[in-house]
Amino acid sequence: MANKFKKLKGSKFIKMLPERQERFQSAKAELPAFSDNATALAKALHPKKQFLKIADVKVLSEDAKTFTLVPDEEMGTKSLAYFGAGKYLTIFETINNMPITRAYSISSSPKDSLEGKYTLTIKLVEGGLMSRYIFDTWQVGTKVVASAPAGNFEYQPLRDAETVICLAGGSGITPFVSMANAIADGDEDFNMVLLYGSRSYDNILFREELDALQSKCDKIKVVHVLSDEDKDIEGTEKGFITAELIKKYAPADKEYSIFLCGPQQMYAFVDKELEKLNLPKKFIRHEMFGEFHNPASQADYPANVPEKVKITVTIQSETQTIEGSSADTVLQILEKNGIAAPARCRSGECGFCHSHLLSGKVYVPKHLEFRRLADFKFDCFHPCCSFPLTDLEINVPLAK
Amino acid sequence: MKNYDVIVIGAGNGGLAAAANCAKAGLSVLLLERHNIPGGSASSFVRGRFEFEPSLHELAGIGDEKEVGTIEEVFNRIDADVEWCRHDSTFRLVVPAKEGDEDAFVNEDGVLVTVDARMPVGFEAFSRKLDELVPGSYESCRKAFDMSIAMFKAFECMENPAKIPGSLKDVPDIMRMTAHTMTEALDALGMPKKAQDIFNTYWCYMGSPASQFDFLYYMCVLHSYVRSGTGIPKFRSHEMSLAIDKKIRDFGGEIWYNADVTKIIMKDGKPVGVVVNGETEVYGKEFICNCYPYKVFTELMDEKDVPEMQLKMLNARKTACTLTTVYLGMNKTKEELGITDYSVFIAPDSDSDKQYEAAQNYFSGYCIINCLNEIIPDCTPEGTSQLFLTTMTFGDVMKDVKPQDYKKFKTKVAQDMIETCEKALNISIKPYIEEIEIALPPTFARYLNTPLGTPYGYMLEKWDSMLPRTVQYLKDQPFENFWFCGATQERGDGYGCAYYTGEKAAGIVIKKLKEGK
Repeated sequence: MANKFKKLKGSKFIKMLPERQERFQSAKAELPAFSDNATALAKALHPKKQFLKIADVKVLSEDAKTFTLVPDEEMGTKSLAYFGAGKYLTIFETINNMPITRAYSISSSPKDSLEGKYTLTIKLVEGGLMSRYIFDTWQVGTKVVASAPAGNFEYQPLRDAETVICLAGGSGITPFVSMANAIADGDEDFNMVLLYGSRSYDNILFREELDALQSKCDKIKVVHVLSDEDKDIEGTEKGFITAELIKKYAPADKEYSIFLCGPQQMYAFVDKELEKLNLPKKFIRHEMFGEFHNPASQADYPANVPEKVKITVTIQSETQTIEGSSADTVLQILEKNGIAAPARCRSGECGFCHSHLLSGKVYVPKHLEFRRLADFKFDCFHPCCSFPLTDLEINVPLAK
Repeated sequence: MKNYDVIVIGAGNGGLAAAANCAKAGLSVLLLERHNIPGGSASSFVRGRFEFEPSLHELAGIGDEKEVGTIEEVFNRIDADVEWCRHDSTFRLVVPAKEGDEDAFVNEDGVLVTVDARMPVGFEAFSRKLDELVPGSYESCRKAFDMSIAMFKAFECMENPAKIPGSLKDVPDIMRMTAHTMTEALDALGMPKKAQDIFNTYWCYMGSPASQFDFLYYMCVLHSYVRSGTGIPKFRSHEMSLAIDKKIRDFGGEIWYNADVTKIIMKDGKPVGVVVNGETEVYGKEFICNCYPYKVFTELMDEKDVPEMQLKMLNARKTACTLTTVYLGMNKTKEELGITDYSVFIAPDSDSDKQYEAAQNYFSGYCIINCLNEIIPDCTPEGTSQLFLTTMTFGDVMKDVKPQDYKKFKTKVAQDMIETCEKALNISIKPYIEEIEIALPPTFARYLNTPLGTPYGYMLEKWDSMLPRTVQYLKDQPFENFWFCGATQERGDGYGCAYYTGEKAAGIVIKKLKEGK
């Protein structure tokens, strides 16, 4: 083919600017009407805050209550964000002038959120500030501020096996109740084998609801594992969740995933059991267990850490110096000094509290190390899982 | 009352470059970012034991041992510290055969295809390879590169007339190149159709097909990639963003994260300040805006304050393409998976205009698969690798999806994309997925706050291409002290383009405030 490029008219360029101007001039001078469901979905699924109020309180036991939360229309929340079963809400409260947050897994079905309902089941934690506050003050009509649903503890069919052995301990049952409901509703599709550890039969949270789900849906099997039960009760196991027990209920000839949600002590025990099963990493998923305490208990925690530290914190243009205990996370120290800081998961995972460490040293427990590589290079850190080892100078984003 | 010389709205690539350069020049700068980290698209995220690159495919301006690349220079100018990893190939294009394709053949992977082009770096090598694939294409390909070489020389003359003598008159082809589309120009050069399709593979990086996109700009892009290969930062693009964040603070600039600009304060017909998070007022002399014009004029200002021409511009332009990306943490190495290239473009049809047509609907079979370990072998733990799969769409493709259907929709799209790659490369992906994250237009809308979730700005159409945008930049701005930067401006999308617009806006502001010009 011949080269005819020289025959192309360069003079056409001269006309480009007037044509562009003409295109602009002849367009409408009004705000464009614009179909943008991508933005609408982003806003519906991830509202900045959800303003809720309590519509119902159910006492499950002396140390567990279920709260039903509905939109607080007066505050501008008209509907609830839909979510994938397994997600949590971060609750914002101010207790004695101290702004704090806690993440609680949603226990209700995703479908319920379309009808304007979330439920949270909260267990009273010994010495727990937030759970005590919630137990004492939340009643029908109480206004509650929550985040959008968040977290990564969800079933994903392209990654997970068709059967998931769900290992729950205590109030770690909540995300699994939501998942079981979602399976029964047809919103999730996997076989759930729930091994649920409780102290005794009378201690089991959601026992009736789980029974009902099991009899309604053949994809759900529930086995209660009771550590302190004297009586023999049909269909339950005694003791703890062990490798043997998992094998007993796992499909014999098929791959299976393991999802864990429970207290720190349960993970320490069960993780050792799981090693015996030699499963690929992709088939084991942990929900974060919330705030980590007592860093000195860790083998790699350094010696001679001062008990008290000073933190000089800058938020926007305001700088102040506060004092705190090296046994607390940087986030807790900020909160105890009445400073609100951004936080969601409080386990290092979500990255919401990402901040700058300008000087000083912090300790981060290895299993909570979710920083990005460049964060190390440029001294960024997650205050929610970092314990001060020295006096610190930090730069923190505004709480949001 | 807080008062600054310059308020920069948005810490995307453009805003970061703008803030760093203003701060370096000694101006008091406040950079406002609605998220808790900088970068916009230039970021990273962690899932399990993987840290994913969210958006960057490759940077053309990283240079080599011999010379410093244009993007490297952006970082060098402000002394920002990024470790670069270089890569010396361009792209591989694979077009799986359809029933009845007469030119189908079985490639090295055992797949029936009509095109399998793995293109090398170097103008001569690229041209020879194209000729090998489509005989009779050497001359036209070489001629196109000769023109782009001359064109870059001319650009240097324009930028630095004192050092390099010469003028635009020496390259009369430039006017022809910019006034014609890729199709018009390559037809005129006599390039066979199939060779054109391979030659045009990077069209998706700009989001306009060959019949729309101007030849000059395409040659700028292709030239940059073919000249000396590409590069990426060692620690994902989060490293680039944090490197600039650090310099802004070192230079005395302030950055507020979680600081959403909710209103622009107007006085006597021009901006004088902004409201942050609906409560804090801050004031400035000059404003550099990395946020999209659509958002500024529909959400941050009263309609009466919006210049009429800006409303017309919004209506005249088309929002550019949107992306869907699937991030995969794999529990096998790239060798075990059988992946041999950093970047493979898989297309249902080799013709970019047909690809564009198909992309008006959700998943058309067009998918780019990247394996970061090809460039950074240790970017994942031993025995693992990470992949990301990208496809693009045009318009409000999500319009019928309800919140409760979104998760299933997402999974379906990801599955289609994964299966497309598995088939086209004859590899197995699904059984080895340890971590997966799926980003659809709503994900990008959430993180980038752009209409439709586009990362690409406005479509670079024939009448609204790079050169006219550049010539008209000053005229296109809404107020005498308000300067847009980022993907909506002269050069459209791309990291380098965004940095360029940020530096340019900073240059204007510095001149005004320091020299009174």
